[in-house]
Amino acid sequence: MSSASKASRLGEEIWKTRIEKVNAELVVLTYGTIVAQICKDFESDYAEVNKQLDRMGYNIGLRLIEDYLAKSNTMRRCSNFRETAEMIAKVGFKIFLNVTPTITNWTGDNKQFSLVFDENPLADFVELPDDGRAQDQLWFSNILCGVLRGALEMVQMQVETHFISDVLRGHDTTEMRVTLVRYIDDELPPEDD
Amino acid sequence: MSYYFAIIGTQDNPLFEYEFGTSKQGGDGMARFTEQARQLNQFIIHSSLDIVEEVQWTNGQMYLKLVDRFFTSYISCFLTASNIKFLLLHQPPSSSSSSALPHPSSSASSSTPSLVSSSHHPPSSTSVIPSLSTLTGGSNSSTSTLTGGTSRTSTSIAANPTSPQTEEAIRNFFAEVYENYVKAIMSPFYRTNMEIRSPVFRARVAAAGRKYL
Amino acid sequence: MSNHLPAGAGNGGGGGRAGDSGLRYPSNGKTIYHRPLNRTKTAELSKAAFAYLFAEMVSYAQRRVTGIQELEKRLNLQGHPIGLKLLDLLLFREPPRTQLRPLNIIALLHFIKINVWTHLFGRQADRLEKSSNPDTPDEFMIIDNEPLVNAYISVPKEMSQLNCAAFAAGIIEGVCDGAGFPARVTAHTVGDTGGGGSNNGSGGTGADGGRGEGGEMWPGRTVFLVKFQPEVLEREALIGAKS
Repeated sequence: MSSASKASRLGEEIWKTRIEKVNAELVVLTYGTIVAQICKDFESDYAEVNKQLDRMGYNIGLRLIEDYLAKSNTMRRCSNFRETAEMIAKVGFKIFLNVTPTITNWTGDNKQFSLVFDENPLADFVELPDDGRAQDQLWFSNILCGVLRGALEMVQMQVETHFISDVLRGHDTTEMRVTLVRYIDDELPPEDD
Repeated sequence: MSYYFAIIGTQDNPLFEYEFGTSKQGGDGMARFTEQARQLNQFIIHSSLDIVEEVQWTNGQMYLKLVDRFFTSYISCFLTASNIKFLLLHQPPSSSSSSALPHPSSSASSSTPSLVSSSHHPPSSTSVIPSLSTLTGGSNSSTSTLTGGTSRTSTSIAANPTSPQTEEAIRNFFAEVYENYVKAIMSPFYRTNMEIRSPVFRARVAAAGRKYL
Repeated sequence: MSNHLPAGAGNGGGGGRAGDSGLRYPSNGKTIYHRPLNRTKTAELSKAAFAYLFAEMVSYAQRRVTGIQELEKRLNLQGHPIGLKLLDLLLFREPPRTQLRPLNIIALLHFIKINVWTHLFGRQADRLEKSSNPDTPDEFMIIDNEPLVNAYISVPKEMSQLNCAAFAAGIIEGVCDGAGFPARVTAHTVGDTGGGGSNNGSGGTGADGGRGEGGEMWPGRTVFLVKFQPEVLEREALIGAKS
């Protein structure tokens, strides 16, 4: 079985049996009020809002990885970045947000791919402000970039993540670009056993 | 029938306005308000707010049906959960321009010309209000003050503002607008009493008007 | 953060600008207006996702305030718009027969206890009470034995006064304000002390004792104290006199 379908089955299985759930709209509304508040606090300086969201996500990622590892029971390290991508999309996103983004647009060196979100629960009720800037500057779901960055850092992968399109901006897709910068432990002395 | 639809905020501030005409009985969807009538519409809508406020705490329905009338202009109201008012002014075609349409013979249409000719000095509407306050009290019998002669009147939505069919059509119109309104206010960036500027929302209101009215 | 766009995804690629609005929409119609409002009515996400977001909201708020009162105030403010939105969303979803705007305090509090709570937290709030103190006829209590919002936050010791249910209090306040019943809503933990948290002597706790559900069973029991503006009670008296 391919690692893709294995990951997909694993994600489904965990979501069904091992995840405590809440009403999706509670989460969606909570995220919405967070973003709206940050926009207000930073007077619609959207570059700064993106940063704040990314930072929040990073904090979440640092803590979320443990939860992920415990739930997915995958102590084994992914053998390559392609496998990592499968696990992110089909297990990670599935068990926290109940969506499975599509993995696509790999570069030849297998270090860069895109996650395309056919569904994005965080943005379910959103229409960006009609202020002539939000659609050019705000990445509403930017928290997800931080989450990935933080979580992967905890498993010795330094990645760079950013959105390159968003249906909220009028694009036809919502797409996040993920780039492997380096494996951190390649350059560090091994930690205590 | 010509329609003027307005969403009024909690500070009596307009959040959205849209004018259209009937699409029934071959109507082209264009409003046929004269320039004077158009100016009067906002005034009429605003003066009906008082009546809405009178009933809003005694009637828990969202659809309050007809709440006011000013000559040939009839006002129907829908109140959202957060007491935002949807008001629809509907005006049957004046007799001079309605030859192609079934002619309503209710008392309302006979006074049509006076609206156009005397709009600079709109007669006091107090004579209308008392009968309406009974209407909005929720009793069905009192509607006769407005629907006198319905038996001889066309029931078509396009021509008769007081027929049960019209009442039902407006209910459906409001319901569809409400669904889209809720979508508009669900956005985390929407705050109470903000003008609704979304062009998609406007298109949805227009579509609801074409579909039901 | 770099902003390069995919080929063709600039102004031209992503649907047209419409009317006098500057907003662009996807050509495939993926906007809120194209989805049924009930699509996510029963959808689920992980509790963990909520917990992480909520914790970040609290710590973000914490960085911008001094002191617990201000922090609770801020959490309240962030809940408020959610209450306003839920009021319309949940009433929209009611079947026509029960699609009624709440006209009096009791109807409103029931709507919160049943509709709002069930939707957000998967169960009704545990109890409603009216203040038994004749001096505070404007005070009502919604009681939750175990608020979900507190389950995930381990409040640091130096902030033991903090009640993250201030967020839920803000939601309640939003529902009240939206429905035309302006109120102040505050959250008080009463589990440990059998009523000490709510320090204005409103008499809900006597009834607690009578029920034999002490603080030991529900150490996190929270009372949401709803204090209505005077005009709400005046209107209520007026309507009551009429009918």
